[in-house]
Amino acid sequence: MAGPRGSAGDGAPGAGTLGAFGRYAGPATLILSSLAGGTKHGYALTKDVEAFSGVRLAPGTLYEALSRLEGQGLIEALESQDRRRPYRLTAAGAAALRAHLDDQRRVADVGLRRLASNWGTS
Amino acid sequence: MTASREASARRAARLLRWYPAPWRARYGDEFAELLIAEFAEQPRSWRRAADVARGGVIARLTRAGLTGHRLEPAEQVRAGLATAACALAAFLAPGIAMWAQLTIGWDWAPPAAGGATIAMVTMTAAAALLAVLALLAAAPLAWSAARSLRRRPARRALRGPALLAAVGTAVLAVGSHHFQNAWPGTGAHPWAQPGLVPAGVAAFSWAATLSVSAYWAHPAALAAFPAAEIAWMAVSPAALIIAVTGVAGLVRRLDLSPRILRYEAWLASSAGAAMAVFLAGACCWVLVAGSGPGLFHAGAIDVGSLAVMLLALSMAQRATGLARKSAPGSRPQ
Repeated sequence: MAGPRGSAGDGAPGAGTLGAFGRYAGPATLILSSLAGGTKHGYALTKDVEAFSGVRLAPGTLYEALSRLEGQGLIEALESQDRRRPYRLTAAGAAALRAHLDDQRRVADVGLRRLASNWGTS
Repeated sequence: MTASREASARRAARLLRWYPAPWRARYGDEFAELLIAEFAEQPRSWRRAADVARGGVIARLTRAGLTGHRLEPAEQVRAGLATAACALAAFLAPGIAMWAQLTIGWDWAPPAAGGATIAMVTMTAAAALLAVLALLAAAPLAWSAARSLRRRPARRALRGPALLAAVGTAVLAVGSHHFQNAWPGTGAHPWAQPGLVPAGVAAFSWAATLSVSAYWAHPAALAAFPAAEIAWMAVSPAALIIAVTGVAGLVRRLDLSPRILRYEAWLASSAGAAMAVFLAGACCWVLVAGSGPGLFHAGAIDVGSLAVMLLALSMAQRATGLARKSAPGSRPQ
C-alpha cells in the first residue's frame, strides 16, 4: 500500500501538504472542499461548511486555517468586496485536496471492507 | 450605521486586540465582518470568544517565530532571533540576580558545601560565555543598524526601536553604575578576595538585578530601604523591558544579509547551550546545596527563578531551533 502521501498528486506543487497542518488538517480539508465549489468569503465559507459537513468552524479556527492555507499557496485572496475578502482555491490547493481526499478514501475503503466482512452490512 | 451594528463593530474591534498588529492589518477588516455576522446570528458565545482569544495567541506565537508556520525563511530567522533575545533577557534577570546573591556570599566566605562551589563556578563560566556571545551578536547588529540609519527609507522604521534600545540600555547602565555603590559585598578593591569575580562586575550585576527580590513580599522590610533604591527596583525592570523591546524591534526590522542571519542563528543556539549550562549550575545550588547558611541558603524566590529560567530556556531553544532550520543556506532537515 502506498504511503499516506505517496500516490495521487505527487509531484504537483503543494500536493500532499495537508498532513503538515497537524490539528488544522480537518478545518483545512473542509475549507478547501468548500472553495472547490467556487470563491467564498469568511462567513459564506462558514455557512457552506456547516451545510455540507455539519461542522461549524469558529472564527478564530477558520482564520487560523485560512492564513496557513494562504501562506502555503493553497488558496489565494481576491480583491476585497465591502470589507469582505473572497478566497479562491489555487491549482496547488486543488492538487493537495485531491491527494488528501484520495488518502482518506483509501482508509475509508479499507475500513468499510473490513466492517462488511467481519460485522456484516447494516 | 445602525446602533446595533455599531455596538457589534466595537465588540469585534475589542476581540481583534488579541491579534498582533500585522495580522490585524492583513485580516482585520474581513475578520471583523465575520464576527459581526456571527454576533447577529448568535449574540453571546463564550466558546467563540475563547476560540478568538486562542487564535490571537497562536497568531502572536507565529509572529514570534515559535510555531514554525507561514513565515518566509528570513522573517522566520529574524523572528526567532528576536524571541531568543527576549527569552535571554527573561532568563538572565533572575539568573544573574541569583548569581549576584551567591557572589556576595562568596565574598564574605567561600561556601562550605562542594555543590555550591560547583554551582558557582559553572554559573560564572556560563555567564562569562553568555557575555562574550552577546557582544559577538551585538557587533554586526550595531554595525548594520548604524549603516541603515544613514539611509532615509530605513531610518523611519529603525528610529523607534533604536531609540528604545539606546534609552533602555543607558538607563540600566547608568542606574546600575550608580546603585552599585550600595553593594553589600566586601567591595572597595578591584578583585574581591576570596571572590570568584571582580568586585565591580559583581556589584554592577547586583545593582542591575536589584528588582528580583523577596523583599517585594515583605513591604514592611522593603519600606526601610532608601526611597531612591526602591524607585530603582521599579525603574530597572522597566528599563530592561524597554531595551529588549528595542533590540527585538531592530532585529525584526533590520535587513540583515543571509550570512549575518546564519551567524546570528549559530550564536543564538550557542547561547542556548550556555543557558542550559547556567541553569544546570543554578539547579545544582538550589536543589542540592541550597540548605547552606546565610546567602548560600536557597529560598522560595530561587525556586521561582528556576521555573522562570526553565521556561525562558525552552522558549529560546524552540525559537533558535526554528531560526537555524530556516536560516538561508542551512541544510534541510
